[in-house]
Amino acid sequence: MHPFGDLSAYLDGALSPEARTSVQAHLDTCALCRTRLAELRGTARLIAALPMPVPSRSLVPRISAPVWMVALRTFSTVASAAAILLFVVSAAISSFPRTQSAGTAPAAAPAPTAALDAARSGATSASAAPQSDQKYAAPTSASASPGAAFNVVPSPTLAPPELATASDATRRLDTGSAAPSASIGDFAVASRISSGTEQPPFNPFPWLWLVLGVAFAAVSFILGRRLRSA
Amino acid sequence: MRPDVGGATEALLDRARRGDARAFEQLALEVQRPLYRHAARMVGHDDAEDVVQDALLSAWKSLASFEGTSFRAWVFRIVTNRALDRLRSRRRRPELPLDPPAEDDDAVGWAEPAAPGAELADLAADREALRVVEEALATLPAEQRAVLLLRDVEGFAYEEIAIITSTEIGTVKSRIHRGRVAVRNILVSRGWKGSSG
Repeated sequence: MHPFGDLSAYLDGALSPEARTSVQAHLDTCALCRTRLAELRGTARLIAALPMPVPSRSLVPRISAPVWMVALRTFSTVASAAAILLFVVSAAISSFPRTQSAGTAPAAAPAPTAALDAARSGATSASAAPQSDQKYAAPTSASASPGAAFNVVPSPTLAPPELATASDATRRLDTGSAAPSASIGDFAVASRISSGTEQPPFNPFPWLWLVLGVAFAAVSFILGRRLRSA
Repeated sequence: MRPDVGGATEALLDRARRGDARAFEQLALEVQRPLYRHAARMVGHDDAEDVVQDALLSAWKSLASFEGTSFRAWVFRIVTNRALDRLRSRRRRPELPLDPPAEDDDAVGWAEPAAPGAELADLAADREALRVVEEALATLPAEQRAVLLLRDVEGFAYEEIAIITSTEIGTVKSRIHRGRVAVRNILVSRGWKGSSG
C-alpha cells in the first residue's frame, strides 16, 4: 500500500514523527513513491515560481490624513486665533480715543488718569514705552503683539510733545503707535489736545480681522471634521 | 518563511493597534503585493484590487479584535474569506460548497505521461510550464486553490493555513495534496513527464 496521501505532507515536513518515519521507510524501498514525491516537489516549485502579478494602483486604503491637511489645519487654527486677537486689539485701540475724549482730560501732563489709560493702551496695543519710568506701562507693554506691527504708522523721529499736532497725535493713538520713544507724556498731551476737537477716521481694520478670524476658524473646523472622520 | 518575526513589524503592529493610522499603512504597504498576488489567483485580476483594498480597510477597522501575533496571517485570512465570498456570490447556486467533500487521499488518480518530455523538477524556468500551472490552478476548486497557494506561494505552515481558512488541519493536508496532484496531472497531460526521482 503506497502512502500517496502523505507524500505532500511529507514534502512539507508536516507529518507526525511516526508517520514521517513510516513514509521514509517506504520511500527507501519504493521507486514509484520516490517518483511521485519528486513530481510533487517539482509541481510545488513551479507553483512557487509563478510570476508575481502587480496591482495597477496602491491598495493601501487612505486612512491617515495627508500631511498637508494636518499642516493646513494647524495653520488655520493659529491664524484664526491671531486674527481674532488682532480684532480685539484693533477694536480696543480704535475705540480708545473716543472714550478718552468723552471724559475730562487732565491739564497736567503726567496726570494719573492719563498714565493709567496709557498703561492700559500699552497692554493691548503693545505701544512700547521702554524709556518711560512709569511702573504701569513697563510690565504690561513688554510683549510686542503683532497687532501693533500691522497697525503702526511709522514715525521714526518722534516730535517732542509740545510740537506734535493734534491730528498727528490722534493718529498715533488711533493706530497704536509702537514707536519706542513714545512716552506717557505723549499720550497725555495728545489726549488733551485731541479732546473734543477731532473724531478719528473710521478704521476698517477691526472688522477685516474679525472676518479673517471667522474664515480661518471655519477652515480649521471643516478640516478638523475631515481629519476625525478619516 | 516567517516574515512576521521582524521586530520592526511588531513595533508597527503595536502602534497600529493603538490607533496609529500611519503605522497601519506601513504594515499594509508591506503585505499589499502578496495579498494581491493571492487574490488575483483566487478571483482574477479585475476583482483582486477591490478585494485587497476592502480587506485592508476591514483589517484596520477590526484591528482591535485582532489578538494573534501574525499580522500577515490575519490579513491573508480576511483576503481569503473575501475572495471565497466573491466567488460564491458569482455562482448561480451559492449554497453549494466550492470544494466537494474529499475521498480517500491515497486514491487520488495520477495521470501517466503520454509522451516523454521535460521533467517536472526542471521546469521552473520554463514560461510555457508556468502558464500551464496558472491555468491548472484556475481549474481547481476555490478552497483547494486557496490552500495550495497559501502553502506553495506564501509559505504558510499547515497550522497557520488551518487558522487562515478556518478548517481542520486534516482538511488542509488533503487539499494541498489534491491540489498538487491535480496540477501535476495537467502538466503531465501537456507532455511533461514526472521526475524519475
